Amino acid sequence: MLEILHALLFSTLDAAPALVFAALGAVLSERAGVVAVGVEGMMRVGAFCAAVAALAMPTALAVCVGMLAGAALAAVHGFLTIRWRSDQVVSGIALNLVALAGGTFLLESLYGPNGTPPITQLSRWELPGLSSVPVLGALSGHSAPTYLALLLPFVFQALLARTPLGLRLRAVGDKPQAVATLGLSVAGLRWGAVLGGGLLAGLGGAVLSTAVLDRFEQHTPAGLGFMALAAMVFGRWTPVGAFLAAAFFAFGNALRIGLVSSAPGLLELVPQGMLLALPYMLTLALLTLQGQRSNAPAALGAPYEQESR
Amino acid sequence: MRERVTQALPSVLSVLLALAVCWALIALTMDAGTASDAYLQMLWGGIGNWPSYLEGAAATVLTRPLGEAGMKAALLTLTGLSVAIAFKVGLFNIGAQGQMLLGALAAAVVGAQVSLPGVLHVPAALLAAALAGAAWAGIAALLKLYRGVHEVISTIMLNWVAVSLVDAWLVVGPLRGVAEGGQSITGTAEIQPTAALPRLLGDLSRLNLGFLLALLLAVAVWAWLERTRSGFETRAVGLGAEAARAAGVPVARRIGVAMALAGAMAGLAGAVLVLGTEGRYPGTLGAPYGFDGIAIALIGNNHPLGATVAALFFGILRAGGTRMQLLGVHKSFPELIQGLALLFVAGRMVWLAVLRRRQSSTEAPRA
Repeated sequence: MLEILHALLFSTLDAAPALVFAALGAVLSERAGVVAVGVEGMMRVGAFCAAVAALAMPTALAVCVGMLAGAALAAVHGFLTIRWRSDQVVSGIALNLVALAGGTFLLESLYGPNGTPPITQLSRWELPGLSSVPVLGALSGHSAPTYLALLLPFVFQALLARTPLGLRLRAVGDKPQAVATLGLSVAGLRWGAVLGGGLLAGLGGAVLSTAVLDRFEQHTPAGLGFMALAAMVFGRWTPVGAFLAAAFFAFGNALRIGLVSSAPGLLELVPQGMLLALPYMLTLALLTLQGQRSNAPAALGAPYEQESR
Repeated sequence: MRERVTQALPSVLSVLLALAVCWALIALTMDAGTASDAYLQMLWGGIGNWPSYLEGAAATVLTRPLGEAGMKAALLTLTGLSVAIAFKVGLFNIGAQGQMLLGALAAAVVGAQVSLPGVLHVPAALLAAALAGAAWAGIAALLKLYRGVHEVISTIMLNWVAVSLVDAWLVVGPLRGVAEGGQSITGTAEIQPTAALPRLLGDLSRLNLGFLLALLLAVAVWAWLERTRSGFETRAVGLGAEAARAAGVPVARRIGVAMALAGAMAGLAGAVLVLGTEGRYPGTLGAPYGFDGIAIALIGNNHPLGATVAALFFGILRAGGTRMQLLGVHKSFPELIQGLALLFVAGRMVWLAVLRRRQSSTEAPRA
């Protein structure tokens, strides 16, 4: 029993960081009032660039390249939505489509349909003294992003809730006029949040290709960016909430894979497709229960226009 | 008329710019000559190989490509209409893919399991697909109206539920077809001949009734939105729900009906795919026509006829895109052009600003 729990926890901790980072990126962007539908595309670009970079440089450095790539795509989003006040959902969807088709095109032109050549994965850290403890030992043996993913949500929560910068970021998503009245730059704050969100989404993607897998594949990230959006909504636009939701999704997935491999008989009772659909149906059910009380930023999706124009 | 042209101009420019960027991309990864050849192949593959026809080749060098283009255009038109209708009432339907899946499944089941005389079988299968799509979209509408769940999130989730339930369970489980020899096949059973959409050009191409159906529906949707009271009310809700409510428009009903119609269109796209081309629900309905519908609707400026024009154009590119593979250019290229075009459409404000600047510099400044 303890062994099963250990294995479940271990694979959750391995798989969750990508989702956690992307969800945090989405929270950051949306709290500042910019819709983050493009997270999926930013993850894909981050995953692709990190894998390609890792062929030429140390993997840890390649992860940074992936982050920058995510931020570059976010910059396009920022240019269209902040500078030119384009529809934020349209811009995000367009970026997803471009990342999907463009990634496939580049992958096949450069490396062929089977993905990039294998790369050196991020090194795993053995925590001395912890590896032999039952269950808790699952905390040992992960790569750096896992530990960062356990820490970052709480840092972000504190940052948003307790610092002047956090207050300004939240205000710019709720009432940009008020922020402008104080003489602060609405565009500047939003740019910061969007680029930060891009860095995080890029990191999420980079984790997929350098820690979860050892290459970039055709289908990476296969909808994980949309799961991150769900985690954000489900976590009510708070960093820790999104983290818990993302961890829950990752655990559910590990549970499904674990159950199927350890008890194949289960598939005779419950079809695979139903198990696959379960997390999404659960999300829908929870959103239904949660209803309108979700605290989405008030000015989310509304381009900011100065009155004086 | 002048206004119409200004409205459509950013879309046209966006598509042209996307074509140019993609040409440069092939030229960079391969070479300029190949890029031009690839575009020419794409053109002949989409509208028919006129040069070789004029040199005396059989008529199929025209009808085959045109038929393929028409087929793809029909699917893009229907999913584009789906997204555009939802847009008109102010909702973003990301769920056309899931609605299309459900429609395809319903059409495949009615087409294979139900026996009806020829004249009735096709309409029955189409109706089933439309209802299935409408029901799936209806879930998102109900969640929106009664629980305030944002449709972008709910339709994304419903897409995943549809893919999981249909592709990973129903089609490989309870609804899996059995071939003549008794061994099971991937996908559902073949539809009966009576349920197949008639081909418009016989054996000359795969073009089928679905193409005419899509065009007819596009005109019908346009007429409904522009020429009827309920269509007007639907647009009013989209422009401002509060104002519409104050003017006595039944907002909830308009949202519900529009979303159901959107789902029906996507469902019909699934039916056209199954009844017109595939003949059954194949192993996976991989083709993301539902997601393409988002791009088509937006490039078409959310206008039913604009979406149709965009769908015809991208249908041609898609059909021709398979030809590019002969030159080693990947088949996802037309999708890339589509995505870039949408990105440039999203930048329509930039276009308009550039155009305005040019206009004001050519016109004499007014005092």
